Amino acid sequence: MAIQFWRIRDRYYRLMGNRCDDCGAEFFPPVYRCRDCGSRHLADKDMPRTGRILTHTQLHEPLPGFESQVPLNLAVIELQNGARVLAQIVDTPQEKIETGAKARAVIRRVQVDGDSGQILYGYKFVVG
Amino acid sequence: MKAYVASVGLEKVGDHWSESLLDLAVGASLKALDGRKVAPQQVIVGNMFSSAGARQEHLGALLASSLGLKGIPAYKVESACASGSTAFDVAYTMVKSGAIDSALVVGVEKMRDVEPEEVSLALAMAESVEYTQFVGASFAALNGLLARHYMERENVSRDELSALPVLSHANAVTAEHAQFRKAITPEVVARSAMVADPLRLFDCAPVGDGAAAALVVNENAIGRAKGGLVEILGGAIATTEFSVYERKDMLRFEATETAFKRALGQARLPESKVGLIETHDAFSVVAALSLEAMGVSKRGKAPSDAKEGRFNLDGDMPINTFGGLKARGHPVGATGVYQIAEAYLQLTDAAGKNQAKDLEYAVTQNVGGLDTSAVVHVFGRAQ
Repeated sequence: MAIQFWRIRDRYYRLMGNRCDDCGAEFFPPVYRCRDCGSRHLADKDMPRTGRILTHTQLHEPLPGFESQVPLNLAVIELQNGARVLAQIVDTPQEKIETGAKARAVIRRVQVDGDSGQILYGYKFVVG
Repeated sequence: MKAYVASVGLEKVGDHWSESLLDLAVGASLKALDGRKVAPQQVIVGNMFSSAGARQEHLGALLASSLGLKGIPAYKVESACASGSTAFDVAYTMVKSGAIDSALVVGVEKMRDVEPEEVSLALAMAESVEYTQFVGASFAALNGLLARHYMERENVSRDELSALPVLSHANAVTAEHAQFRKAITPEVVARSAMVADPLRLFDCAPVGDGAAAALVVNENAIGRAKGGLVEILGGAIATTEFSVYERKDMLRFEATETAFKRALGQARLPESKVGLIETHDAFSVVAALSLEAMGVSKRGKAPSDAKEGRFNLDGDMPINTFGGLKARGHPVGATGVYQIAEAYLQLTDAAGKNQAKDLEYAVTQNVGGLDTSAVVHVFGRAQ
């Protein structure tokens, strides 16, 4: 299964979304057609790595592969360009995880592929 | 051409340790087929994850063959938690157009044969593998994110939100096919285990096995005998941005909004005539946002409306009259057909102790993902 994530490693490592050539709207996750103007002319673009927490949750029942990380803090972060990322919040005291808090992207180990043992890296966010 | 639900069949939702996915599907099918002597020209199965839940696909042919219905088209329709109602919509569209005259729609899900983590993963498959599953977000996690956003933005209290599961449980007490026939209080919700903060166990629909069937016919199939029929007046499916976090306003259930308007338009029915709604309360917050999208409550007000009793069986807009997803249960791919069967029971005055009074028109609303897909149908008494 790791190949389906390896394929888009630049999305995970560089927070690479895309930008509409015609209207300038920026997207993460990337889109195939511009959500704002319908254009099919889009180019890859790295997203700003800072933003604010729009909403957050603490998950107590993990998906397979995430058992060791429970409870898992997850948030929707609105980046400076308006794009929104769903990500884990890590290395942050619990009381600092709140709506409106500033957060920045870091690279972390996300999961270990069950079959191959391959380590998958990707973005997580830290408050501050 | 007019299209009708001619009969329905329901299995009790819950732990069916002694029955397989196929046993349940056949059970519900036979009940529906026994209710009306019409041979179905197609079998359409609504199911979300029989591959993960029972290591079985090819459900259409499997069920048709088991029912002795040789030679007819039979297939599965999948649209996450909206699979059942989507299968029904396919049948409705074909029967209404006259392309076929009858179809058996069967929603079925087997969830209890596998471990809870496997169910979580199967449900998460309704969401993006690359950007939701990859980061460790389950379906419950997305609902937790949405619930906090809703409570903070709209100033909704824990106590108000609890009114929705409390209502569903109250209605399930007298519903024979419900999974949990037990009343609860807001305190029970507030004290239950945290699942995805702020959502607790009693905000979330349970895991259970189930199957429900509906026989859909047009006038060619039933002639003039209109007894026991419920007319399908309108139906619509709408979709929106796939992941909830991609939407400019996460609190707007635009797919439900669109499907509801379209279905009522097809039925030529003003909103004020709708007398009952079977709505999608997979999570308390989803019920609230669904009711608000259908204009039943103002933004942020569905929980307080529920608390005031507006949605009770004797209120001005009864909802989830047999317990909804929360208490009747939510065997995902079957849920939409349960809702439709319940609307049928209500409109044929066969709802027993759960009967809504003076009912003329009922609506069902079933969603896949977080309102990524929404399916709405409008029903009325056969004229």
